[in-house]
Amino acid sequence: MAIVPLQLQGLSKRFGRLVVLRGIELTVDAGEIVALLGANGCGKTTLLSIAAGLAPASTGACTWGDAADLDIEARRRLAFVAHSTQIYARLSARENLRLVAALRGDVGADPNIDRLIARVGLADAADRAAGMFSRGMQQRLAIARALLGAPELLLLDEPFTALDFAGRTLLGRLLLEERSRGAAILLTSHDLDAVAEVSDRAVLLADGRITAQASREGSESVVSFAERIRRLGTDTRTNAVQELAPHA
Amino acid sequence: MSLVRQSWLLAKNDLVQELRDLEMVMTAAFFTLVVLVMFALSFAALPAADQTLAVPGMLWLAIAFVGALTLTRIFDREREADTLRAVLTWPVDRVAIYFGKLGVTLLVVTGCGALLMPALALLFPAAEVFLERPLESATLLVLGCVAYCAVGTLFAAGLATASGKNVLLSVILYPLTSPALIFALVATRALLEGHPALTTYLGQLAALDAMLVALASWLFEPVLLGNVVKPVRSAPRRRPMKE
Repeated sequence: MAIVPLQLQGLSKRFGRLVVLRGIELTVDAGEIVALLGANGCGKTTLLSIAAGLAPASTGACTWGDAADLDIEARRRLAFVAHSTQIYARLSARENLRLVAALRGDVGADPNIDRLIARVGLADAADRAAGMFSRGMQQRLAIARALLGAPELLLLDEPFTALDFAGRTLLGRLLLEERSRGAAILLTSHDLDAVAEVSDRAVLLADGRITAQASREGSESVVSFAERIRRLGTDTRTNAVQELAPHA
Repeated sequence: MSLVRQSWLLAKNDLVQELRDLEMVMTAAFFTLVVLVMFALSFAALPAADQTLAVPGMLWLAIAFVGALTLTRIFDREREADTLRAVLTWPVDRVAIYFGKLGVTLLVVTGCGALLMPALALLFPAAEVFLERPLESATLLVLGCVAYCAVGTLFAAGLATASGKNVLLSVILYPLTSPALIFALVATRALLEGHPALTTYLGQLAALDAMLVALASWLFEPVLLGNVVKPVRSAPRRRPMKE
Protein backbone atom coordinates (compact mmCIF):
# COMPACT_ATOMS: atom_id res chain seq x y z
CA MET A 1 0.00 0.00 0.00
CA ALA A 2 1.37 3.40 -0.97
CA ILE A 3 2.34 5.67 1.90
CA VAL A 4 0.21 8.78 2.01
CA PRO A 5 2.31 11.93 2.42
CA LEU A 6 -0.26 13.59 4.67
CA GLN A 7 -3.06 12.01 6.61
CA LEU A 8 -5.23 13.71 9.20
CA GLN A 9 -7.43 11.41 11.28
CA GLY A 10 -10.06 12.67 13.67
CA LEU A 11 -8.16 15.91 14.11
CA SER A 12 -9.67 18.43 16.45
CA LYS A 13 -8.38 21.71 17.80
CA ARG A 14 -9.77 23.95 20.47
CA PHE A 15 -8.54 27.18 21.96
CA GLY A 16 -10.10 27.20 25.40
CA ARG A 17 -13.82 26.92 24.79
CA LEU A 18 -13.54 27.79 21.13
CA VAL A 19 -13.57 24.68 18.96
CA VAL A 20 -11.90 25.48 15.67
CA LEU A 21 -11.56 22.04 14.11
CA ARG A 22 -13.77 19.02 14.71
CA GLY A 23 -12.91 15.51 13.63
CA ILE A 24 -11.06 16.43 10.45
CA GLU A 25 -10.41 13.51 8.13
CA LEU A 26 -8.21 14.46 5.21
CA THR A 27 -5.55 12.81 3.10
CA VAL A 28 -3.33 14.30 0.47
CA ASP A 29 -1.76 11.80 -1.89
CA ALA A 30 1.49 12.04 -3.76
CA GLY A 31 1.03 13.82 -7.06
CA GLU A 32 -2.18 15.51 -5.88
CA ILE A 33 -3.07 19.14 -5.27
CA VAL A 34 -5.80 19.67 -2.70
CA ALA A 35 -7.25 23.10 -2.08
CA LEU A 36 -8.73 23.89 1.32
CA LEU A 37 -11.46 26.49 1.05
CA GLY A 38 -13.55 28.26 3.61
CA ALA A 39 -14.63 31.55 5.05
CA ASN A 40 -12.29 33.79 7.00
CA GLY A 41 -11.66 32.36 10.44
CA CYS A 42 -12.92 28.89 9.62
CA GLY A 43 -9.66 27.18 10.64
CA LYS A 44 -7.73 26.75 7.39
CA THR A 45 -4.54 28.28 8.74
CA THR A 46 -4.91 26.37 12.00
CA LEU A 47 -5.21 23.11 10.07
CA LEU A 48 -2.14 23.93 7.99
CA SER A 49 -0.20 24.91 11.12
CA ILE A 50 -0.98 21.53 12.66
CA ALA A 51 0.05 19.78 9.45
CA ALA A 52 3.30 21.77 9.48
CA GLY A 53 3.99 20.77 13.08
CA LEU A 54 3.70 24.31 14.37
CA ALA A 55 0.72 23.75 16.58
CA PRO A 56 -0.45 20.73 18.54
CA ALA A 57 -3.84 19.24 17.84
CA SER A 58 -6.18 18.80 20.79
CA THR A 59 -7.08 15.28 19.69
CA GLY A 60 -6.56 13.14 16.66
CA ALA A 61 -3.64 12.01 14.60
CA CYS A 62 -1.54 13.50 11.88
CA THR A 63 0.92 11.35 9.98
CA TRP A 64 3.49 12.47 7.47
CA GLY A 65 4.29 9.59 5.17
CA ASP A 66 5.49 6.81 7.44
CA ALA A 67 6.27 9.22 10.28
CA ALA A 68 3.95 9.68 13.22
CA ASP A 69 6.11 12.48 14.56
CA LEU A 70 7.43 15.40 12.58
CA ASP A 71 11.06 14.77 13.42
CA ILE A 72 14.01 16.26 11.57
CA GLU A 73 13.93 13.68 8.79
CA ALA A 74 10.20 14.15 8.27
CA ARG A 75 10.67 17.93 8.16
CA ARG A 76 13.31 17.40 5.50
CA ARG A 77 10.55 16.12 3.22
CA LEU A 78 8.11 18.92 4.04
CA ALA A 79 7.94 22.58 3.11
CA PHE A 80 5.56 25.20 4.43
CA VAL A 81 4.79 28.59 2.92
CA ALA A 82 2.92 30.59 5.52
CA HIS A 83 0.60 33.50 5.01
CA SER A 84 3.37 35.87 6.05
CA THR A 85 6.47 35.48 3.93
CA GLN A 86 8.80 34.73 6.88
CA ILE A 87 11.74 36.19 5.03
CA TYR A 88 14.89 37.61 6.62
CA ALA A 89 14.61 41.22 5.44
CA ARG A 90 18.25 42.10 6.02
CA LEU A 91 19.49 39.19 3.93
CA SER A 92 19.43 39.09 0.15
CA ALA A 93 17.27 36.58 -1.71
CA ARG A 94 20.34 34.45 -2.35
CA GLU A 95 21.40 34.60 1.28
CA ASN A 96 17.93 33.60 2.45
CA LEU A 97 18.11 30.50 0.30
CA ARG A 98 21.74 29.76 1.19
CA LEU A 99 20.83 29.74 4.86
CA VAL A 100 18.18 27.07 4.40
CA ALA A 101 20.40 25.04 2.08
CA ALA A 102 23.22 25.16 4.63
CA LEU A 103 20.90 24.12 7.46
CA ARG A 104 19.68 21.23 5.35
CA GLY A 105 23.28 20.18 4.83
CA ASP A 106 23.05 20.61 1.06
CA VAL A 107 26.62 20.81 -0.19
CA GLY A 108 27.25 22.77 -3.37
CA ALA A 109 23.74 24.18 -3.40
CA ASP A 110 24.57 27.41 -5.24
CA PRO A 111 23.67 26.17 -8.76
CA ASN A 112 20.35 24.89 -7.46
CA ILE A 113 19.75 28.19 -5.69
CA ASP A 114 20.48 30.15 -8.85
CA ARG A 115 18.12 27.91 -10.77
CA LEU A 116 15.34 28.39 -8.22
CA ILE A 117 15.80 32.14 -8.11
CA ALA A 118 15.50 32.22 -11.90
CA ARG A 119 12.51 29.87 -11.76
CA VAL A 120 10.55 32.32 -9.58
CA GLY A 121 11.59 35.32 -11.64
CA LEU A 122 13.92 36.97 -9.13
CA ALA A 123 17.21 36.63 -11.00
CA ASP A 124 17.62 40.41 -11.35
CA ALA A 125 17.02 41.00 -7.64
CA ALA A 126 18.88 38.02 -6.22
CA ASP A 127 21.50 40.07 -4.38
CA ARG A 128 19.20 42.82 -3.16
CA ALA A 129 18.07 42.85 0.48
CA ALA A 130 14.78 41.00 0.71
CA GLY A 131 13.38 43.82 2.83
CA MET A 132 13.47 46.01 -0.27
CA PHE A 133 11.24 43.58 -2.17
CA SER A 134 7.58 44.14 -2.82
CA ARG A 135 5.17 41.79 -1.07
CA GLY A 136 4.78 39.80 -4.28
CA MET A 137 8.52 39.42 -4.71
CA GLN A 138 8.85 38.25 -1.11
CA GLN A 139 6.12 35.73 -1.77
CA ARG A 140 8.07 34.41 -4.76
CA LEU A 141 11.16 34.14 -2.58
CA ALA A 142 9.20 32.23 0.06
CA ILE A 143 8.04 29.82 -2.61
CA ALA A 144 11.58 29.39 -3.94
CA ARG A 145 12.73 28.61 -0.43
CA ALA A 146 10.01 26.00 -0.05
CA LEU A 147 11.09 24.28 -3.27
CA LEU A 148 14.76 24.10 -2.22
CA GLY A 149 14.71 20.55 -0.98
CA ALA A 150 12.29 19.16 -3.60
CA PRO A 151 9.77 18.45 -0.83
CA GLU A 152 7.42 15.50 -0.87
CA LEU A 153 4.75 17.50 0.93
CA LEU A 154 4.14 21.15 0.21
CA LEU A 155 1.83 23.17 2.45
CA LEU A 156 0.88 26.64 1.26
CA ASP A 157 -1.26 29.19 3.07
CA GLU A 158 -2.76 31.69 0.63
CA PRO A 159 0.14 31.38 -1.82
CA PHE A 160 -1.50 33.53 -4.48
CA THR A 161 -1.65 36.53 -2.13
CA ALA A 162 0.00 39.65 -3.49
CA LEU A 163 1.01 38.00 -6.74
CA ASP A 164 0.39 39.86 -9.95
CA PHE A 165 -1.04 38.08 -12.99
CA ALA A 166 2.42 36.94 -14.11
CA GLY A 167 3.19 35.75 -10.60
CA ARG A 168 -0.08 33.82 -10.38
CA THR A 169 0.59 32.15 -13.69
CA LEU A 170 4.14 31.36 -12.61
CA LEU A 171 3.01 29.89 -9.30
CA GLY A 172 0.36 27.82 -11.03
CA ARG A 173 2.98 26.42 -13.36
CA LEU A 174 5.35 25.71 -10.48
CA LEU A 175 2.67 23.85 -8.56
CA LEU A 176 1.79 21.73 -11.57
CA GLU A 177 5.47 20.95 -12.10
CA GLU A 178 5.82 19.93 -8.46
CA ARG A 179 2.72 17.77 -8.76
CA SER A 180 4.21 16.07 -11.82
CA ARG A 181 7.33 15.41 -9.77
CA GLY A 182 5.12 13.57 -7.30
CA ALA A 183 4.76 16.13 -4.53
CA ALA A 184 1.63 16.19 -2.43
CA ILE A 185 0.32 19.73 -2.17
CA LEU A 186 -2.21 21.17 0.24
CA LEU A 187 -3.03 24.83 -0.19
CA THR A 188 -5.56 27.33 1.04
CA SER A 189 -6.81 30.16 -1.05
CA HIS A 190 -9.71 32.52 -1.59
CA ASP A 191 -8.79 32.79 -5.27
CA LEU A 192 -11.20 30.24 -6.69
CA ASP A 193 -10.06 30.70 -10.28
CA ALA A 194 -6.45 30.00 -9.33
CA VAL A 195 -7.60 27.02 -7.28
CA ALA A 196 -9.59 25.65 -10.20
CA GLU A 197 -6.60 25.98 -12.50
CA VAL A 198 -4.25 23.87 -10.42
CA SER A 199 -6.23 21.72 -7.98
CA ASP A 200 -7.29 18.14 -8.35
CA ARG A 201 -9.64 18.36 -5.39
CA ALA A 202 -11.17 21.16 -3.37
CA VAL A 203 -12.57 20.71 0.12
CA LEU A 204 -14.69 23.14 2.06
CA LEU A 205 -14.10 23.78 5.73
CA ALA A 206 -17.10 25.09 7.61
CA ASP A 207 -18.04 25.02 11.28
CA GLY A 208 -14.78 23.19 11.97
CA ARG A 209 -15.59 20.30 9.69
CA ILE A 210 -14.97 19.33 6.10
CA THR A 211 -18.49 19.61 4.78
CA ALA A 212 -18.11 19.35 1.05
CA GLN A 213 -15.61 18.48 -1.58
CA ALA A 214 -15.30 18.54 -5.33
CA SER A 215 -12.89 16.51 -7.40
CA ARG A 216 -11.86 17.39 -10.89
CA GLU A 217 -13.29 14.83 -13.25
CA GLY A 218 -11.23 13.56 -16.15
CA SER A 219 -10.68 16.37 -18.62
CA GLU A 220 -13.12 18.72 -16.89
CA SER A 221 -12.46 22.31 -17.86
CA VAL A 222 -11.14 24.88 -15.46
CA VAL A 223 -14.30 26.94 -15.86
CA SER A 224 -16.55 24.00 -15.04
CA PHE A 225 -14.47 23.01 -12.03
CA ALA A 226 -14.38 26.61 -10.78
CA GLU A 227 -18.14 26.80 -11.07
CA ARG A 228 -18.58 23.62 -9.05
CA ILE A 229 -16.18 24.92 -6.43
CA ARG A 230 -18.28 28.04 -6.17
CA ARG A 231 -21.31 25.90 -5.51
CA LEU A 232 -19.67 23.89 -2.73
CA GLY A 233 -22.22 23.78 0.01
CA THR A 234 -23.02 22.19 3.27
CA ASP A 235 -25.79 19.76 3.96
CA THR A 236 -26.28 20.29 7.68
CA ARG A 237 -28.94 17.59 7.98
CA THR A 238 -26.34 14.86 7.92
CA ASN A 239 -22.66 14.50 8.60
CA ALA A 240 -22.11 13.47 5.03
CA VAL A 241 -19.67 15.49 3.02
CA GLN A 242 -21.48 16.75 0.02
CA GLU A 243 -19.85 15.70 -3.22
CA LEU A 244 -20.73 17.88 -6.10
CA ALA A 245 -20.86 15.96 -9.33
CA PRO A 246 -19.91 17.62 -12.59
CA HIS A 247 -22.64 18.82 -14.83
CA ALA A 248 -23.83 16.22 -17.34
CA MET B 1 24.31 17.85 10.19
CA SER B 2 25.60 18.29 13.71
CA LEU B 3 23.91 20.32 16.40
CA VAL B 4 27.01 22.46 16.75
CA ARG B 5 27.06 23.33 13.06
CA GLN B 6 23.35 24.15 12.95
CA SER B 7 23.68 26.30 16.08
CA TRP B 8 26.60 28.11 14.51
CA LEU B 9 24.71 28.70 11.25
CA LEU B 10 21.74 30.17 13.09
CA ALA B 11 23.95 32.32 15.30
CA LYS B 12 25.92 33.46 12.26
CA ASN B 13 22.63 34.37 10.57
CA ASP B 14 21.76 36.65 13.49
CA LEU B 15 25.24 38.14 13.58
CA VAL B 16 25.25 38.87 9.85
CA GLN B 17 21.90 40.62 10.16
CA GLU B 18 23.08 42.53 13.19
CA LEU B 19 26.22 43.72 11.40
CA ARG B 20 24.01 45.17 8.65
CA ASP B 21 22.44 47.73 10.99
CA LEU B 22 24.11 47.32 14.41
CA GLU B 23 20.78 48.07 16.04
CA MET B 24 21.12 45.70 18.97
CA VAL B 25 24.79 46.37 19.56
CA MET B 26 24.38 50.15 19.48
CA THR B 27 21.38 50.01 21.81
CA ALA B 28 23.25 47.81 24.28
CA ALA B 29 26.42 49.90 24.07
CA PHE B 30 24.67 53.22 24.56
CA PHE B 31 22.65 51.84 27.43
CA THR B 32 25.85 50.62 29.06
CA LEU B 33 27.42 54.05 28.70
CA VAL B 34 24.39 55.81 30.14
CA VAL B 35 24.33 53.46 33.10
CA LEU B 36 28.03 54.02 33.69
CA VAL B 37 27.61 57.77 33.70
CA MET B 38 24.72 57.52 36.14
CA PHE B 39 26.68 55.23 38.42
CA ALA B 40 29.66 57.60 38.31
CA LEU B 41 27.54 60.60 39.17
CA SER B 42 25.67 58.78 41.92
CA PHE B 43 28.38 56.78 43.63
CA ALA B 44 31.75 58.39 42.83
CA ALA B 45 31.98 59.92 46.30
CA LEU B 46 31.47 56.63 48.10
CA PRO B 47 34.26 55.53 50.49
CA ALA B 48 36.38 52.66 49.18
CA ALA B 49 34.86 50.13 51.58
CA ASP B 50 31.37 50.99 50.38
CA GLN B 51 32.49 50.83 46.76
CA THR B 52 33.39 47.18 47.28
CA LEU B 53 29.77 46.57 48.22
CA ALA B 54 28.27 48.76 45.50
CA VAL B 55 30.36 47.86 42.43
CA PRO B 56 29.15 44.23 42.13
CA GLY B 57 25.56 45.47 42.21
CA MET B 58 26.29 48.09 39.56
CA LEU B 59 27.93 45.52 37.31
CA TRP B 60 25.22 42.89 37.47
CA LEU B 61 22.35 45.35 37.42
CA ALA B 62 23.68 46.84 34.22
CA ILE B 63 24.24 43.38 32.73
CA ALA B 64 20.70 42.35 33.69
CA PHE B 65 19.17 45.35 31.93
CA VAL B 66 21.39 44.99 28.87
CA GLY B 67 20.49 41.33 28.75
CA ALA B 68 16.78 42.05 28.85
CA LEU B 69 17.17 44.64 26.10
CA THR B 70 19.16 42.23 23.97
CA LEU B 71 16.79 39.32 24.45
CA THR B 72 13.80 41.49 23.68
CA ARG B 73 15.38 42.78 20.51
CA ILE B 74 16.75 39.49 19.26
CA PHE B 75 13.34 37.88 19.40
CA ASP B 76 11.44 41.00 18.33
CA ARG B 77 13.13 40.70 14.99
CA GLU B 78 11.96 37.10 14.69
CA ARG B 79 8.45 37.99 15.82
CA GLU B 80 8.10 40.89 13.37
CA ALA B 81 9.03 38.73 10.39
CA ASP B 82 7.57 35.49 11.82
CA THR B 83 10.87 33.84 10.87
CA LEU B 84 11.07 31.71 14.00
CA ARG B 85 8.04 29.74 12.85
CA ALA B 86 9.75 29.21 9.52
CA VAL B 87 12.85 27.80 11.22
CA LEU B 88 10.63 25.43 13.19
CA THR B 89 9.46 23.81 9.96
CA TRP B 90 12.99 23.32 8.60
CA PRO B 91 15.01 20.14 9.19
CA VAL B 92 16.79 21.82 12.09
CA ASP B 93 17.29 20.44 15.54
CA ARG B 94 15.17 22.78 17.60
CA VAL B 95 17.74 22.88 20.35
CA ALA B 96 20.08 24.43 17.78
CA ILE B 97 17.74 27.43 17.75
CA TYR B 98 18.27 27.77 21.48
CA PHE B 99 22.04 27.51 21.29
CA GLY B 100 22.19 29.90 18.34
CA LYS B 101 20.22 32.57 20.20
CA LEU B 102 22.12 31.91 23.40
CA GLY B 103 25.41 32.39 21.61
CA VAL B 104 24.44 35.73 20.11
CA THR B 105 22.89 37.03 23.34
CA LEU B 106 25.95 35.96 25.28
CA LEU B 107 28.24 37.71 22.83
CA VAL B 108 26.40 41.02 23.19
CA VAL B 109 25.98 40.81 26.95
CA THR B 110 29.55 39.76 27.71
CA GLY B 111 30.73 42.41 25.28
CA CYS B 112 28.93 45.04 27.33
CA GLY B 113 30.29 43.47 30.50
CA ALA B 114 33.77 43.69 29.01
CA LEU B 115 33.19 47.44 28.59
CA LEU B 116 31.72 47.81 32.04
CA MET B 117 34.45 46.13 34.04
CA PRO B 118 37.39 48.31 33.01
CA ALA B 119 35.18 51.39 33.07
CA LEU B 120 34.12 50.63 36.64
CA ALA B 121 37.77 50.03 37.49
CA LEU B 122 38.61 53.51 36.22
CA LEU B 123 35.71 55.17 38.03
CA PHE B 124 35.95 53.35 41.35
CA PRO B 125 39.32 52.52 42.92
CA ALA B 126 37.87 49.49 44.69
CA ALA B 127 37.15 47.96 41.28
CA GLU B 128 40.77 48.13 40.12
CA VAL B 129 40.91 44.43 40.96
CA PHE B 130 39.13 43.86 37.63
CA LEU B 131 42.28 45.10 35.88
CA GLU B 132 44.73 43.53 38.32
CA ARG B 133 43.17 40.08 37.99
CA PRO B 134 41.89 39.98 34.41
CA LEU B 135 41.66 36.21 34.09
CA GLU B 136 39.47 35.78 37.17
CA SER B 137 37.42 38.82 36.18
CA ALA B 138 36.84 37.52 32.64
CA THR B 139 35.94 34.06 33.94
CA LEU B 140 33.49 35.50 36.42
CA LEU B 141 31.94 37.72 33.78
CA VAL B 142 31.46 34.89 31.30
CA LEU B 143 30.12 32.43 33.86
CA GLY B 144 27.67 34.95 35.27
CA CYS B 145 26.45 35.97 31.83
CA VAL B 146 25.97 32.34 30.79
CA ALA B 147 23.73 31.73 33.79
CA TYR B 148 21.64 34.80 33.04
CA CYS B 149 21.41 34.25 29.29
CA ALA B 150 20.64 30.53 29.60
CA VAL B 151 17.42 31.28 31.44
CA GLY B 152 16.63 34.44 29.55
CA THR B 153 16.90 32.84 26.13
CA LEU B 154 14.47 30.10 27.10
CA PHE B 155 11.75 32.46 28.22
CA ALA B 156 12.30 35.03 25.52
CA ALA B 157 11.81 32.30 22.92
CA GLY B 158 8.65 31.12 24.62
CA LEU B 159 7.20 34.60 24.51
CA ALA B 160 8.29 35.14 20.93
CA THR B 161 5.90 32.52 19.60
CA ALA B 162 3.18 32.88 22.18
CA SER B 163 0.80 35.76 22.46
CA GLY B 164 2.79 37.26 25.32
CA LYS B 165 4.06 40.78 25.09
CA ASN B 166 7.57 42.05 25.73
CA VAL B 167 6.62 43.31 29.15
CA LEU B 168 6.07 39.73 30.23
CA LEU B 169 9.72 39.01 29.58
CA SER B 170 10.78 41.46 32.27
CA VAL B 171 8.14 40.16 34.66
CA ILE B 172 9.29 36.58 34.16
CA LEU B 173 12.98 37.11 33.55
CA TYR B 174 14.13 39.05 36.60
CA PRO B 175 12.63 36.78 39.27
CA LEU B 176 13.93 33.66 37.54
CA THR B 177 17.42 34.97 36.94
CA SER B 178 17.78 36.63 40.36
CA PRO B 179 19.42 33.59 42.00
CA ALA B 180 22.06 33.43 39.27
CA LEU B 181 22.60 37.19 39.38
CA ILE B 182 22.89 37.18 43.18
CA PHE B 183 25.39 34.32 43.01
CA ALA B 184 27.43 36.23 40.44
CA LEU B 185 27.20 39.34 42.61
CA VAL B 186 28.50 37.48 45.66
CA ALA B 187 31.34 36.00 43.61
CA THR B 188 32.20 39.49 42.32
CA ARG B 189 32.38 40.83 45.86
CA ALA B 190 34.64 37.90 46.74
CA LEU B 191 36.88 38.88 43.83
CA LEU B 192 37.03 42.54 44.91
CA GLU B 193 37.75 41.60 48.53
CA GLY B 194 40.36 39.01 47.58
CA HIS B 195 38.34 36.32 49.31
CA PRO B 196 40.12 32.91 49.35
CA ALA B 197 36.87 31.12 48.41
CA LEU B 198 36.72 32.82 45.01
CA THR B 199 37.82 29.69 43.18
CA THR B 200 35.08 27.72 44.91
CA TYR B 201 32.51 30.34 43.91
CA LEU B 202 33.67 30.19 40.30
CA GLY B 203 33.45 26.40 40.33
CA GLN B 204 29.95 26.54 41.74
CA LEU B 205 28.95 29.12 39.15
CA ALA B 206 30.30 26.89 36.39
CA ALA B 207 28.27 23.96 37.76
CA LEU B 208 25.19 26.19 37.92
CA ASP B 209 25.78 27.19 34.30
CA ALA B 210 26.00 23.58 33.21
CA MET B 211 22.74 22.74 34.99
CA LEU B 212 20.90 25.79 33.67
CA VAL B 213 22.02 25.28 30.08
CA ALA B 214 21.12 21.57 30.21
CA LEU B 215 17.71 22.28 31.75
CA ALA B 216 16.89 25.16 29.45
CA SER B 217 17.87 23.26 26.30
CA TRP B 218 15.73 20.32 27.44
CA LEU B 219 12.75 22.58 28.07
CA PHE B 220 13.22 24.65 24.94
CA GLU B 221 11.07 22.71 22.51
CA PRO B 222 8.11 22.21 24.87
CA VAL B 223 8.21 25.88 25.86
CA LEU B 224 8.38 26.90 22.23
CA LEU B 225 5.74 24.61 20.82
CA GLY B 226 3.62 23.28 23.65
CA ASN B 227 2.31 19.70 23.43
CA VAL B 228 2.97 17.80 20.22
CA VAL B 229 0.38 15.97 18.13
CA LYS B 230 -0.06 12.43 19.49
CA PRO B 231 -1.64 9.61 17.49
CA VAL B 232 -4.93 8.34 18.92
CA ARG B 233 -5.28 4.64 19.67
CA SER B 234 -8.65 4.32 17.92
CA ALA B 235 -10.84 6.45 15.74
CA PRO B 236 -13.38 8.61 17.60
CA ARG B 237 -16.95 7.28 17.54
CA ARG B 238 -19.51 9.42 15.78
CA ARG B 239 -22.67 10.38 17.60
CA PRO B 240 -25.76 9.80 15.43
CA MET B 241 -27.31 13.08 14.27
CA LYS B 242 -30.81 13.94 15.59
CA GLU B 243 -33.49 14.18 12.90
